[in-house]
Amino acid sequence: MFKDLLKMELFPTSWCPGCGIGQVMIQLATVMDEMGLGHTNSTIISGVGCTGRMAGYFNVDGVYTLHGRALPVAEAAKLVNPDLKVIVVSGDGDLTSIGGNHLLHAARRNPDLTVLCNSNQVYGLTGGQAGPTTPRDTRTVSTPGGAPYDPVNLQNLMKAGGRYFYARTTVFHQVHFRNCIKEAIAWPGFAFVDIMCHCIENNGRRLGFKSAYEMLQHFRQTYKRATDGAETLEPFEIGIVRKG
Amino acid sequence: MVQGTEAIFLGALRAGGNFFAGYPISPSTEILVLAAEHASRNPDFKFIQSEDELAAGNAIIGASLAGAKSFTATSGPGFTLMQEAIGYGHEVEVPTVLVNMQRVGPATGMPTMPAQQDVLQTHYGTSGDYYPLVFCPNSVAECYRYAVITFNAAEESLSPAILLSDGFVGHLNEVVDLDAIEVEVVARSRPPLGTGTRFFTGLAHDEKGNPRTADAVIYKQWLSMVKARHEKVAARYRHFECQGNDSSDTLLISYGIVSRVIAPLAGQFAMFRPIRIFPMLGDELREYAQEYERVVVVEANDGQYASLVEREVKRDVVRVPLLGGRINLELARKGLSENLGKEVS
Ligand SMILES: Cc1ncc(C[n+]2csc(CCOP(=O)(O)OP(=O)(O)O)c2C)c(N)n1
Ligand code: SF4
Repeated sequence: MFKDLLKMELFPTSWCPGCGIGQVMIQLATVMDEMGLGHTNSTIISGVGCTGRMAGYFNVDGVYTLHGRALPVAEAAKLVNPDLKVIVVSGDGDLTSIGGNHLLHAARRNPDLTVLCNSNQVYGLTGGQAGPTTPRDTRTVSTPGGAPYDPVNLQNLMKAGGRYFYARTTVFHQVHFRNCIKEAIAWPGFAFVDIMCHCIENNGRRLGFKSAYEMLQHFRQTYKRATDGAETLEPFEIGIVRKG
Repeated sequence: MVQGTEAIFLGALRAGGNFFAGYPISPSTEILVLAAEHASRNPDFKFIQSEDELAAGNAIIGASLAGAKSFTATSGPGFTLMQEAIGYGHEVEVPTVLVNMQRVGPATGMPTMPAQQDVLQTHYGTSGDYYPLVFCPNSVAECYRYAVITFNAAEESLSPAILLSDGFVGHLNEVVDLDAIEVEVVARSRPPLGTGTRFFTGLAHDEKGNPRTADAVIYKQWLSMVKARHEKVAARYRHFECQGNDSSDTLLISYGIVSRVIAPLAGQFAMFRPIRIFPMLGDELREYAQEYERVVVVEANDGQYASLVEREVKRDVVRVPLLGGRINLELARKGLSENLGKEVS
């Protein structure tokens, strides 16, 4: 049971009602349960942010590192203990902005890590400021006139090296989502899962969504599966691109 | 002949060090190169040349949590980038070792002239209240011995401990039989990641690791528990040297390389040398200072340790700064003569 992997006694979680992070946690727990991962063979390491708090809700050793530093901590832990499954879960701001240099170099060094990136396209915890993944023209508290830049292209960043694993999925497409986590964990290298997820409180409402449900419906309508074997995911396609 | 940096590295191995992460910066790079070479020959020794010192500082924490005895080596500007990891290590209670081979700053400063300008940064460089254990060797033999002791203090205090040296000590070549140096090694006590359901967090937390970010009572209990533990460990390493002098009214305090350079003045002054530079040797400083009319600190910075000694002995302390990477007896004599109003030969 996935619930065995969670510290149910700490519920309710610190997340806002309707936040997509809960979905990420349940899907990860479900996959870990299926794959026989638990406290004797795995650890969850996060950066700082709403997403990062997830590491504290799992019944495995968890590390809530500093903001942006999940990857250096995780890479070192994996090097010291190669038998340990090291799963990194963090926000897109954490991983791509303050932790961007580490992401670039961890991807290049290609250690056997699974990285789940909660792409809610804002800094959730600090109130919904724009970050590197915020689409151009999006209004946020720190971009009242609309975000002035194109967002970082994480797929291209991951594909910069010779070997890579990049998956894009959404919290609505649960079967696809679980499959991406499973494949990422099984991948013998740096596997990055870019999860389209919703922050209803500090992003969604400002964009005009009335509820978390509406945001999920938006993912359902906007994101389509890439054709099998596609080498590149087009915008709004979900799928996996990899090269070993 | 053994060099200071080599002795530090060999001391780290003696202590059981088996993980190094670092980023090149003079005058600490020799240690990184030794670690890389050692790792290439010994698969049990793990090495990462990090993308920067933010990564290196955090990597040694991850390695320690995973069960390794980890360390890094850096110099002033790199040490500044590692401050966040030092704070994190104190909050999460992670044993690890940082070697700082100081050079002239601020910023890139005078690469790579030796200095002692990170004394205050070592104690006060990161946010919050914390109680670092810091050792300051002045010879090749001490580089070795105190590398081991710094690892031990880190294990016992469950915190990042610091070996504070400089390029001058690091580049000393001395004849010493390292194997003959007797020093015990403290073993790792905490089980590694992958054995429990613990939560290691930089957030304030209760004893189970659960975040308690608005509870002043729990926070204060935690801080006083950590403080008491650090005081207990510090008491084990009350390390200093002192040479009284009945014919002098002045106590000269110096540490690290400066204590070596001004050693010839021992005939004219009483001498005191802290080795465990932090926490401050308050009782010892007060005890020896009270015997003398004047207390002088000679150091390769603009009075950093002097200001802390002043706070301990509760009276004015004369500062003799040796600045700009020039650390020699002539300058020390000149500075003393100017400040004491009499010729020091
Ligand atoms: C060094 C540092 N700078 C800033 C912060 C404040 N801070 C905490 S979380 C966060 C951003 C979180 O955004 P993201 O990583 O996208 O995660 P989310 O909250 O959306 O899950 C910021 C800026 C911090 N904790 N540490
Ligand atoms: S602020 Fe946004 S990301 Fe954070 S818990 Fe609330 S809904 Fe989730």
